[in-house]
Amino acid sequence: MKKRKLLSLLLTAVLAVSMVACGNQETVTNNAQDSGNTQTEGTTNTEGTTEESTRPTEPTGQLVIGTITQMGNDFYDASFSNNATNYKTYDLIHGYSTVVADMEGALLYDPTVVASHETTENEDGTKTYTVTINDGLTWSDGTPITAKDYVFQLLLESSPEMNGVDGYPSQAGYSLVGYQDFFDGKTENFAGVHLVDDMTYSVTVRAEELPFHYDIYYATAAPRPMHVIAPDCDVVDSPEGASITGDFTTELLLKTINDPSTGYRYNPTVTCGPYLFESFDVASAQCTLTVNPTYAGDYRGVKPAIEKLVIKTVKSDTMINELKSGSVDLLFQCSGADTINAGLDLVDAGEAQKNTFFRNGYGKIQFDCSQFPTDSANVRQAIAYCLDRNEFARQYSGGYAAVVHSYYGLAQWEYQESKDWIDQNLNTYEKNLDEAKALLEADGWTLNADGTPYSGTGTRYKDVNGELKPLVIEWANTDGNPVSDLLSTMLPEAMTEVGMELKATTMDFPTLQSAITHSSDKIYNMYNLAVGFSTVSSPWYYYSTDPQWMQGGYNSNWIVDQELADATAAMKPIAYEDTEAWLSAWQTFIDLWNEKLPDIPLYSDEYYDFYSNKLHGWQSTSVWEWSRAVLDAWVDA
Amino acid sequence: MGKGRYLLKRLIYIIFVFFIISILMFAIYKSMPGDPVEIMLGDSKTTMKPDAYQALYDKTRESLGLDEPLPVQYLSWMGNMLTGEFGYSTQYKQEVINIIGAPMANTVILNILTMFVVFIIAVPLGILTAVRKNGVFDKTVQVLTIVGYSIPTFIIALLAIFLLAVKIPIFPISGVRSAGSTATGLAAALDMLRHMVLPVLVMSVSGIGGITRYVRAAMIDVLRMDYIKTARAKGLREKTVIYIHAFRNALIPVVTITTWWIIGLFGGSIVIESVFLWPGLGKMLIDGLMQRDFAVVLTMQMFYVVLSLAGNVIMDIAYTLVDPRVRLEN
Repeated sequence: MKKRKLLSLLLTAVLAVSMVACGNQETVTNNAQDSGNTQTEGTTNTEGTTEESTRPTEPTGQLVIGTITQMGNDFYDASFSNNATNYKTYDLIHGYSTVVADMEGALLYDPTVVASHETTENEDGTKTYTVTINDGLTWSDGTPITAKDYVFQLLLESSPEMNGVDGYPSQAGYSLVGYQDFFDGKTENFAGVHLVDDMTYSVTVRAEELPFHYDIYYATAAPRPMHVIAPDCDVVDSPEGASITGDFTTELLLKTINDPSTGYRYNPTVTCGPYLFESFDVASAQCTLTVNPTYAGDYRGVKPAIEKLVIKTVKSDTMINELKSGSVDLLFQCSGADTINAGLDLVDAGEAQKNTFFRNGYGKIQFDCSQFPTDSANVRQAIAYCLDRNEFARQYSGGYAAVVHSYYGLAQWEYQESKDWIDQNLNTYEKNLDEAKALLEADGWTLNADGTPYSGTGTRYKDVNGELKPLVIEWANTDGNPVSDLLSTMLPEAMTEVGMELKATTMDFPTLQSAITHSSDKIYNMYNLAVGFSTVSSPWYYYSTDPQWMQGGYNSNWIVDQELADATAAMKPIAYEDTEAWLSAWQTFIDLWNEKLPDIPLYSDEYYDFYSNKLHGWQSTSVWEWSRAVLDAWVDA
Repeated sequence: MGKGRYLLKRLIYIIFVFFIISILMFAIYKSMPGDPVEIMLGDSKTTMKPDAYQALYDKTRESLGLDEPLPVQYLSWMGNMLTGEFGYSTQYKQEVINIIGAPMANTVILNILTMFVVFIIAVPLGILTAVRKNGVFDKTVQVLTIVGYSIPTFIIALLAIFLLAVKIPIFPISGVRSAGSTATGLAAALDMLRHMVLPVLVMSVSGIGGITRYVRAAMIDVLRMDYIKTARAKGLREKTVIYIHAFRNALIPVVTITTWWIIGLFGGSIVIESVFLWPGLGKMLIDGLMQRDFAVVLTMQMFYVVLSLAGNVIMDIAYTLVDPRVRLEN
């Protein structure tokens, strides 16, 4: 009896400790605040009083940034590493691109870098961009930055020699005249690139790449330290185009770029961004950057005020605890009710601050529009009517998400300008099973399995060229995905009620990817995925009817719809400055997309940045991300 | 002579099994759906023009040798591996040999410390509970070891974090080193040691539970033997009876388990590595599988195969060392 009591006591103790631990998990609630705007608390609470902090004149202090994406030891560009955190670190180390995106996502010539620029439309339909850079820009080792460094980047990153370095794509000059011959090694001169003088370069864009809405982007180039990557080489110009002279070989680049300990890819010692690469600790996957004293500022002239940045991996389950304990100072783009509520508790307790904004993208059901029966817009719309998307977004995010109705992100300026228009014109596809049934009837789904008129229960059938086909939707999803779990709860019953059958198959992501790209044997009707919008959104590729854009992974819906293709193609040639014409064409496209419904947008997360009280001036959005926002911020000394 | 022939036969057996397993592994991984080249090129597909992407895809596929028939790919892979070239990681875009060192070191350091803690506690505890069989101490340890053995590792990990890093913040929640630490030498080692406390504690709980019970059972069996009674009858001190006569004879099962622990030094734990953000081989293996990074996965798998096969032979030799009655014969 005593033994049983002892055992019971011990088990009770273990249970009690477990419950205490579980008590830390937050209850999912709706977000009561207005989440439509970016909100920032930029002040520090000190013993109940509010005290404004002043931005220091000299860089000072350290900021530890927590990221849930473990970094790798690779700091060239996104061509070598797809890791998002690595790319942001690259962004902090490298700078002085001639064309940049501002805080609202608009492209512009960076006045800190560009002294003057000129565009010439040539008789053969090509277009030449001539850019003169400012005098006085330097590399971190004090070497002056000249136009040669910009031309070197265009040549290096278009060259067959660089292509030999772990298959680097060498696509930098793809749109420029003479690219293919240069890339194929047929000529040493890149006809579309010229070194005009020490501080000026020019690029000439092929006629077939024009007109293009974002054509300002063709003028962009970023300097690469030629004296580090190709020390005994030089860039020279000739009427046939610019070229690299000297012993410029793949073997050289394998040494200067790819050497595991000293290569520029792993140890970029000479850079020109706001921060300098100090170290990457492979064992802890932790990166340390220090401020670059020679940095001239971003496009506004803003220079960093934080002396040292440390980027370390955190786990979403425990990252708020890390913030509380002081082992990290900033957690960016937090999502999910558990994390957000725990973070808000910390804010309420005066132990942290917050900044919130909407994600520029959404989670979605993606249809394969080449596959029967989701090749029919009626079927896609009927599925949309089977789902209460507002309830879905609420349950998925705990209230920290919004619902969008077409192909747009909530941070896009087009959306900001069109809020009223969207409310008035787009179908919101509120759950309506009668509407779903009517759409299916109109699409010919009017039969039972035996060919008699549909009885109102069971799966609908349709006569397709004399063959009775059932209304079965094959859905491929991934394991351990909360969106899949919620869809499995909310969709099947409603779909059954309207006469559809949903067949789910769970697989890992590479298998799902094979199905989407039609590389595997079986092709499915729908997938649950996500989309994010960049500042250069090019829907004309994503809805092109040209098979190469489908096989190439752009038109991943495999939708062949001429109206949609025409609507997007009409956007491509609109001049970048003509915002009125662009907005009108954008609205036409958005309206049409809303009707064709190649995807069903499910939720657009509300992101939260949580950060320590020592951090001030923090203003980030889904367009102006943390690697840019860090320039405006400062920490208490 | 008998021992030599035995070892030679085992060596031939190891080589045979190694090749059979390598063919099976290779076939299994190659039959998995998902295109490693497409995964390797990642976002390039939607940042490059389709024709340029296709050219890059074809070139990459060729450079990785994936355009060759499977038997040729196998022979090439095996030939390279036997000469110390473990292939090219499609995930990290580096040679496997360059990326596997740091996680392996992390895993081995963590496992060595855990093994040390487990054996230093579990072996004496197992002996003590066997000697004090059915006493209050034995019963208490029995219950605790069952609890430690039964509770899933991730629950113990979360409890440990909550208690020792959040409520009483004496240890860091995760990571290998303090953020921004510039410490070197002893200070750096101590910092790392501090970060190892929680993962080692969690890994040790189930290990101590299992090994204590294992040693206890072996010792109880031995303590029943006639030669123990004889030793006691001779008037030997109880300590001598237990630690010299009994424990040495209970070592055979302990050797078995120790050998597997040593082999396991190189096996990462995905749970521990994920919860404590300790970049090790477990996560690397899972990431490799998810990214269809066959060079990494196959290298690791074959390494484990070699370790397991060699472990069996080492175990046999160790038996002869701890128990002279055991002979290695055909």
